Amino acid sequence: MTDQAPADRVLGPMAGSASPRASKGHEAKDRPDGGGLEPWEVFRQEKEGDPMRHGGSVMAPDAELAVHYAREMYGRRQESVRLWVVRRADVHDLTDPDLLQPPLDRSFKKPGGYVMRDKLAAARERTGKHKPRGSAR
Amino acid sequence: MTGIATDLLPATRDALSVLLLAMADDEFVIGFSDSEWTGIAPMLEEDVAMSSLAQDELGHAQALYRLLAEIVEDGRDADAIAFDRPPEGYYHARLLDHPRGDWAGTIARRYLYDTADGVRLDALAGSSFAPLRDLVGKIRREERYHRMHASSWLERLALTTGEPRLRLLDALARLSPDGASVLAPLPNELSLVMAGILETGSAELETRWRAEIGPVFERLDLPMPAAIAEPAAARTGHSEAFRRLWTDFTSVRHAEPGATW
Repeated sequence: MTDQAPADRVLGPMAGSASPRASKGHEAKDRPDGGGLEPWEVFRQEKEGDPMRHGGSVMAPDAELAVHYAREMYGRRQESVRLWVVRRADVHDLTDPDLLQPPLDRSFKKPGGYVMRDKLAAARERTGKHKPRGSAR
Repeated sequence: MTGIATDLLPATRDALSVLLLAMADDEFVIGFSDSEWTGIAPMLEEDVAMSSLAQDELGHAQALYRLLAEIVEDGRDADAIAFDRPPEGYYHARLLDHPRGDWAGTIARRYLYDTADGVRLDALAGSSFAPLRDLVGKIRREERYHRMHASSWLERLALTTGEPRLRLLDALARLSPDGASVLAPLPNELSLVMAGILETGSAELETRWRAEIGPVFERLDLPMPAAIAEPAAARTGHSEAFRRLWTDFTSVRHAEPGATW
């Protein structure tokens, strides 16, 4: 239901009895009274064969209820054929720009770095074949 | 008469109407009652979940009232049957006469109802009356999730010592005398069994229900519901709480009789 930090959502109706630990997200599940909530990420498949896409998230105290709530939020109108529900704490997050957006030119690592169009055209020329339907690069 | 139940003997048709009315009123009353959680459930996700469950029940009630209207053929449509009766004309089980109570009360009632309703639906899944068999097939698929939801919460409350468990025990004690009322014998139900509409009678259904929930109650160390106090009155003599609910759910209909919404 939210992309906010867990702490923002934990301050709901159940926060009255919550210890400060509850604001540390996934650690809240260890609380003995079982009242801790944590965020779960929901991925959904719209129809068989489609990729799983991130749908959003739900707050729940454990996997069982997280699946129930995912079903209610992302599946009750028959908009999904499959859901994956993953504890947010189990998601390894990588945003480091040094790793993802390196400063030097990396265009040679992209398929677009090699323009195939002219080579293919030349090859066709040699074999006398016409360009197939649709475009090739 | 051109209705869908003309092949049935009049006594069987009457018994079928009573069964449908009982089922429809059960779904209607618990659906409306649980919808009171909309906006005030313990957490946002649960608010959506409970509201959606309640809406499912109203959908089941609507389908059952429609089927009933086709069988009774007295000119009333589903809405007229659902809303235009006095409170004493409703035929839901006494279990649903209890107000929704606190969250533990709602979960206890839901669990008792959903499991009993599940046993009843199972006994109709192979019904010789095709329109009911088809409808039950659809309802059962949704009720599976309802039972999962109720079981999750029952377990959670039962196993969390302190206030959650105490509130659950309190609710179960309150509901106990009416716990089995959903499966109380219906008038002339034998004719339904003879016609192959209902697999077996209420006594056997209650036995199956107790066999299903018994191990769960034992594992969670919860007291089983008592025997039905007054089986003949299991669906009559409704409570003050129901009368208040009735005033609520008929208020819009009564505000402008005959209006089209």
